[in-house]
Amino acid sequence: MAKAHGQLIGVTGSNGYLGRSLVAALRKENLDVVEYRRVALDADASEKTRVLDLGAPMDPSVFEGVTCLVHGAWDLRETDPRRAWERNVEGSKRLLDAALDAGVQRVIFLSSMSAYFGTKQDYGLMKLAVERAVLEANQVVVRPGLVYGAESGGMAATLSKLARLPVIPVFRGAHQFTLHVDDFLGAMVTLIVSDDVPSAVVGLAHEPPTPFNEIMVALAPNERGPAKTVSIPWHPLLTTLRVAERLNVPLPVRSDSLLGLVRPAPNVPGRDVASELGLSFRPFSVTGE
Amino acid sequence: MRVLIIGAGPAAAAVALAVSKSPDVEIQVLDVGGRLEDENDAARLRMSKSEPSRWATRDEQIISQTAVASEHHRLPEKRIFGSDFPFRDFGQLDGVRVDGGLNSHVVSGAYGGFSNTWGAQTMVFSDATFNDWPFTRSELEEDYRAILNAIPYSAEEDDLAEYFPLWGPADALPPLSENPERILTSYDRNRVKVRRQGVLMGKARLAMRGAKCVSCGLCMTGCPYSLVYSASQTFDDLVRSGRVDYVGGHLALSVGEEDGRPFVSARSQSTSRVETFHADKVFVACGALGTTRLVAQSLGMWSRRIHMSESAQFLMPFLSLRGMRKLTQDGSFTLNQFNIVLPFDEAGHDLVQIHGYPYNEAMDDALPTLLKNPALKAVGVALLKRLTVGLGYLPSWWSPGFDVTFERPASEGELAPMTLTPSATGEAESRRRLRAVVRRLVKAAPYLGVMPVLPQVALSAPTKSYHFGASFPHSRTPKEGLESDVLGRVHPWRDVHLVDASVFPSVPATTFTLSIMANAHRIARTVMEETRG
Repeated sequence: MAKAHGQLIGVTGSNGYLGRSLVAALRKENLDVVEYRRVALDADASEKTRVLDLGAPMDPSVFEGVTCLVHGAWDLRETDPRRAWERNVEGSKRLLDAALDAGVQRVIFLSSMSAYFGTKQDYGLMKLAVERAVLEANQVVVRPGLVYGAESGGMAATLSKLARLPVIPVFRGAHQFTLHVDDFLGAMVTLIVSDDVPSAVVGLAHEPPTPFNEIMVALAPNERGPAKTVSIPWHPLLTTLRVAERLNVPLPVRSDSLLGLVRPAPNVPGRDVASELGLSFRPFSVTGE
Repeated sequence: MRVLIIGAGPAAAAVALAVSKSPDVEIQVLDVGGRLEDENDAARLRMSKSEPSRWATRDEQIISQTAVASEHHRLPEKRIFGSDFPFRDFGQLDGVRVDGGLNSHVVSGAYGGFSNTWGAQTMVFSDATFNDWPFTRSELEEDYRAILNAIPYSAEEDDLAEYFPLWGPADALPPLSENPERILTSYDRNRVKVRRQGVLMGKARLAMRGAKCVSCGLCMTGCPYSLVYSASQTFDDLVRSGRVDYVGGHLALSVGEEDGRPFVSARSQSTSRVETFHADKVFVACGALGTTRLVAQSLGMWSRRIHMSESAQFLMPFLSLRGMRKLTQDGSFTLNQFNIVLPFDEAGHDLVQIHGYPYNEAMDDALPTLLKNPALKAVGVALLKRLTVGLGYLPSWWSPGFDVTFERPASEGELAPMTLTPSATGEAESRRRLRAVVRRLVKAAPYLGVMPVLPQVALSAPTKSYHFGASFPHSRTPKEGLESDVLGRVHPWRDVHLVDASVFPSVPATTFTLSIMANAHRIARTVMEETRG
């Protein structure tokens, strides 16, 4: 590690759980951070925030002074695949080109473990397409596993809600590669400040994977006694969710997310790169120990 | 310093482009130099000077002769400006024997080589292709860029850029034909569903001046306006500017080094005398098989079986649900219009590629005989209106390739007899991979508004793709007589460099000629840099 100071780190997607945690961690390391948001904030906050919308034309000047850009923004509100592609994939490609044109030295794309070769998930396919563009530009891709911690967000938060049900649904054979939030933040700081990071896909997750039912039991509230689980066939559930989505019924879980749970990545990529950078990931435990 | 280039195809053109940047270097090109017949050339020239509406019918008839069916092969042999000159034997095919239904027109003696009649596909190899090579794509990038800056180039940024960066300023493609346009629109609408099946698409990338295209529909039989690149254009420019001394009518018979200085022996086609040419550096660019024969003949590789890796070709016609309004090739360009890419691994190493061709008049002959019957003509026309022909390629590591052996020639002034035979293994693997390709496309096709015509899906015979090489593959530690170093030198030569596909370590399924040119440019550029110290 060397570049800790004199850098300006840009972070897109700082409204989300990972982005927000990352910005806080970088500032704790005394690194200068600029956050990119879709809408302008009030004047007091404007020095540390800039406006950037994935769906809009990209102005390279918004990356002025930025040395490393962490691109985590992803618009999950858009459910139509064509519009989601245009906004997220094409928007990310435009962002990548603009950032590199503006002289950003390193772009780190926050992808997902859903983005593995052969995925059938729309989300994974779209992330995979952006990954290809990032790698073609000799930049860095990270695929975090299921991130959990004291204040979970994203999928882990959704699973925590499901784990509060009297009977917890689980899927036979499903598993997840897990990642404690502190390990994620430590790995990201390393990837940002290290001098030499190869252009590669780096999986950030503990291997081997944790069975899905173990995750759900661990997330269940302790005060209720031993958690009760029920194994449910996922095909009918997937069909039900898809039908409900077609009918615009609001749902706690998307069909695409279910697909990510029951058809997870087969392995964690880039273990050699992670190892060279000294990254390590603890086994799954809700206490983080 | 004096440089001698053998051949005048794309690899030779790339060497000439690289070397011509050194003003103090004399460049001589030794070539068989077969030309288009005078009558055809005159017709082409007349047409190039006027708009299509003013073309004389006779001229149009002369130069628009369509492809000619060839024995054993599903695909006919193309004609260019009404001529077979890129395939014709000007002496370079002497002693070529083929077994097992292989193609015998494997070495071109034409000025410009096979680039007179190529499909003009112009894409870089994927980064992961170079996992098997002794250098990376990054090391070749400046050469790719140099070539793309020197040739006409039409391309657009689309999904294909995920594997194949554009790397150069490009014209937009001219308007596509109806069926390909509709297929790409369907892809745009259903992109995620199509990609879920492991299929992605984008527009063709072509070595043509798209901005000047008048959509006369004659691309497949020769662009009268010379908007489609041929290596002969590069040599025309370099000869006109005095940078290259072009010596046609000579067939190279052997190459070597004597007292540390390279030489080439060549037979004059006019006098039949064998002449010797000396230079400080020799670049051999006779096409993969022509070069292999020259090396084998020069180093006495008699009766040794040399394997040629080939990217096997397959035919996959598609029928669209909706047809063209009118069955005509006019009003569009007729080269490849879109590419289908099927990745079989995450890195982008195992790729299969299919080029989509719109209707052109050569396809009329491909109709089953029954549908040529006047009573069923309407059915034939209806089918043709819906037809898009996919010409696909498997990578060489999933293709059988073929073997070549040489015998000592009867006399000094002859080429060594060369026999091509199908490889004993590899076809089963090709068929297995092709089935996997078909399965993916059958699933993706409804989202594209087409269906593959499964009974017509067919693997071409070895040698038919023209995408072959790897007889002396580049290696960091070359095995004597079997491999070349990264500058294309085969032991014991130090100043003789092979620069065409004979030195490719593998032949991926993606487009071929641009990478041949980039690699030849890299070799020549490096040799010049090293010479300058």
